[in-house]
Amino acid sequence: MRSFDLYTLRTTFESQGVMMCFNGPFSHSVIEQLGDAVKNHLRSSDAPRSRVTDVFSVFVEQAQNLKNYTTARLDGIGTLAIARDGERYVVSSGNMILPEDKPQLQSRLDEIVSADADTLKLMYKTRLREPLQDGAGAGLGLLTMARTATDPIEYSILDSTGNYNFFTITVTI
Amino acid sequence: MEPLRIAHTKSTPSVHFDPESTVLAIGGESYPEDSHQFFGPVVDWVDAFLSGAAGRVTVRVDLTYMNTSSTKYMIDILDRLERAHLAGWKITVEWNYDEDNEREIDTIEELKEDFEMPFTLIARDW
Repeated sequence: MRSFDLYTLRTTFESQGVMMCFNGPFSHSVIEQLGDAVKNHLRSSDAPRSRVTDVFSVFVEQAQNLKNYTTARLDGIGTLAIARDGERYVVSSGNMILPEDKPQLQSRLDEIVSADADTLKLMYKTRLREPLQDGAGAGLGLLTMARTATDPIEYSILDSTGNYNFFTITVTI
Repeated sequence: MEPLRIAHTKSTPSVHFDPESTVLAIGGESYPEDSHQFFGPVVDWVDAFLSGAAGRVTVRVDLTYMNTSSTKYMIDILDRLERAHLAGWKITVEWNYDEDNEREIDTIEELKEDFEMPFTLIARDW
């Protein structure tokens, strides 16, 4: 039987301040269970209630975007980590995307990253009033993350080997 | 009409609508796997109730969290109630919030901006 180098993995997590990390197939029940763990952990810390709401909200939007996209387009697999950076929290997720989805995602994110608070509010309110569609829109989730974040959203789309790109999004709260 | 009764789960709120008292109560956490599947029947129920003769509806919301797609459906429900209000129904919205949670207050205040019907914020009694 193969043995895994869990010690190295743990050291990597700890050196980056990672409190929790999940890598694997995302299902709705995984999101519910991780969400409980996130909330319980934050509530037992000294974080104010609005901070707990913000971190949980960014976690849910990232996890649901990841699950909805990868389930529809790929294999449902992704990585999500929550880290502590001094007084702040960092929520980051990563998953493969299809190259043909890259331009639309990139232009949507660039628009959000460069927008100021008033523009983000206007974009959010406009999108809230757009006709309802089955499954709802990932755009609204990205706008909520951008409005919750204390720093601009960071993202990257790596050209990976094979037929996919690796997409990551990082939100600091 | 029969009462509408949906029990809460970890990620979906409880929804009760009693046609006798005409109180629509929604409470819990809301981040369903499929918001359309969850809220669709609630929207249909509200539509069916509002298609009757003008009357009164009190909406009591006590959501400790709602994700973006739930927010979209809640606004869809409130829009229907706002139209009823403008058409002569007596609609009252009572939205509970946590006094110690600025984020919750901001979210509800922003939501309230778009409505003319009576919309009260009530500090949650834990």
